[in-house]
Amino acid sequence: MALRKRPEEPRPRSGPSASGTRLWTWLMIPGTLWMTGFLIASLLLVATLAFGTTDPLGNPRFGLNFENIAAMTDPAYRAVLLRSLGYALLTCLICLVVAYPVAYAIALHGGRFKNLLIAAIVVPFFANYLVRMYGWSVVLSDDGPLLKVLRAVGLADSDTKILQTGMGVIAGLVYGFIVFMIIPLYAALERMDVSLIEAGRDLYGGPLRTFFFVTLPATRQGAMAGCVLVLLPAMGDFVSAQLMGGPDQIMIGNLIQDKFFQGQNWPLGSALTMLMMAVLFIGMLGYLRRTRKDEAEATR
Amino acid sequence: MTLRPALKPQRHPAVKANRRPGPRPSRRPARRPAVKRHRRGTDRRPRFAIAVTAAFFALLYLPIGVVVLFSFNSQKSLTVFKDFSLRWYSAFFKDDVLLESLGMSLRVSLVAMAGSLILGVALALGLVRCRSRLGSLAGLVMLVPLITPEIVTGVAAMLLFKGFGVTLSTGTVMLAEITFSISYVTVILRSRIAALNPEVEEAAMDLGATRWQALRLVTLPALLPSILASAVLVFALVFDDFVLAYFTTGVDPQPLSVRIYSAIRFGVQPTINAVGTLMLAGSIGLIALALAIPRLFGRRGGLDLLSGK
Repeated sequence: MALRKRPEEPRPRSGPSASGTRLWTWLMIPGTLWMTGFLIASLLLVATLAFGTTDPLGNPRFGLNFENIAAMTDPAYRAVLLRSLGYALLTCLICLVVAYPVAYAIALHGGRFKNLLIAAIVVPFFANYLVRMYGWSVVLSDDGPLLKVLRAVGLADSDTKILQTGMGVIAGLVYGFIVFMIIPLYAALERMDVSLIEAGRDLYGGPLRTFFFVTLPATRQGAMAGCVLVLLPAMGDFVSAQLMGGPDQIMIGNLIQDKFFQGQNWPLGSALTMLMMAVLFIGMLGYLRRTRKDEAEATR
Repeated sequence: MTLRPALKPQRHPAVKANRRPGPRPSRRPARRPAVKRHRRGTDRRPRFAIAVTAAFFALLYLPIGVVVLFSFNSQKSLTVFKDFSLRWYSAFFKDDVLLESLGMSLRVSLVAMAGSLILGVALALGLVRCRSRLGSLAGLVMLVPLITPEIVTGVAAMLLFKGFGVTLSTGTVMLAEITFSISYVTVILRSRIAALNPEVEEAAMDLGATRWQALRLVTLPALLPSILASAVLVFALVFDDFVLAYFTTGVDPQPLSVRIYSAIRFGVQPTINAVGTLMLAGSIGLIALALAIPRLFGRRGGLDLLSGK
């Protein structure tokens, strides 16, 4: 998706396309200035305020203070961060396990309904996130339809709960972001050379062996892109934990929100935001290194 | 299947012609014909994948169905459907606070759509056509909102406004939403612009058009379907956006999604089902429109939403 760099075509140094370079540069400037002014500047502000303090009235003060950074080692924050990371990673894994068969069935066996089916997945995703989450929490509620069915088939006891547990939070995250996994996987499976699967089968690979040794490696890039696209919003989400988790399932997003709205400790909130970004950045670096290695191998 | 004649193992004619003296080759073919094993590589129906897909679709639409169904319930309950009634819809249309929020959300979406289109189309054109260091830098800046969790952009925007002493209001939501939407417009349009044939534009200039005229009379009309599609998409995304609106909105009026958030945090409110159903219908209609626009123009691939590019 957007994360991959396009190969650049060489441009003629003379001729009509070169003469317009100035126009293209001018067209680019307003948008870039806007984004720099509103986005990059504000992100830098967050990074700076992480070193700030609050005065006795609770107003943020800039400065060079490592109190908030030191506070990040607080075991309470570490527990929340680890929980967020764990929930986000588990969400990623569940999304992968569910999205793969879905993308596979649609991309390779969807026939003429392919586009229709993918649209049927994408369209509700664009519906209001809160409304979807709210509906999902009703479905998962203690006397909601899902638990009723599970109880009827004997998969759940009368006191099994999904809401107010970690499972509820993860269920919310999966429901919220699974489409980010399906789309890149679908794109990778669609792009994949089907004759590879045929070759695998011709070489007497069973369906499972063919899948694990041919299909899965061929679509690894899509799976990794999907994991990054799910991990990013899942890590920052605070709605799922609020609607479907109990007080002991809060994620780092809830902490940040709390520091900015209820606690009014903006420097600490900024520090928590930077901590989250740092964790995600490490993950992103791993992803980038991996894709670069893959591309280098592919072009060799 | 049954209509096909049974396949007999056949030997290649060349084998018969060149048969060498020696031990008679075995009558049995070395291996069973591949035809029986599988017709085509992927033709076997993956029952497991199809079952997962069916379950996935059921769970995908169940929450939406619940919201829609119980918006027509005559009772307050979310578990027992009593009678069909429009009482929650009329409650919504009598609620001045919610209506004010709806109006604000519509205004914010319109302004964000217009602003991000102007900046985003220009940025996309510049990014594709201009090969300079500034271009690659601008390309990186544009990607930042897409690789940052929304809560971070929300916190950052809030700090920026508050840091400069700007009171949070409708205006700050608009500014934040424009910033956020530029990336979407640019990403959608980039691939379309790259797919355009620059020679058409150059031909127009050979015929005496200035570069600006060529852009206005040749390139922009060719991009119109994609521009319209991304406009509709941005409108829907901004209207539904919650996180950024939540961090940048003032006290009154608040965007509809922020109102929904505070309502559902404090328990069940059936009016929310009605509002939610209206919003669902609105976004689904808009997205369907955005997907259909390229087709209306008799072109395909105007919106690379589905190909994952």
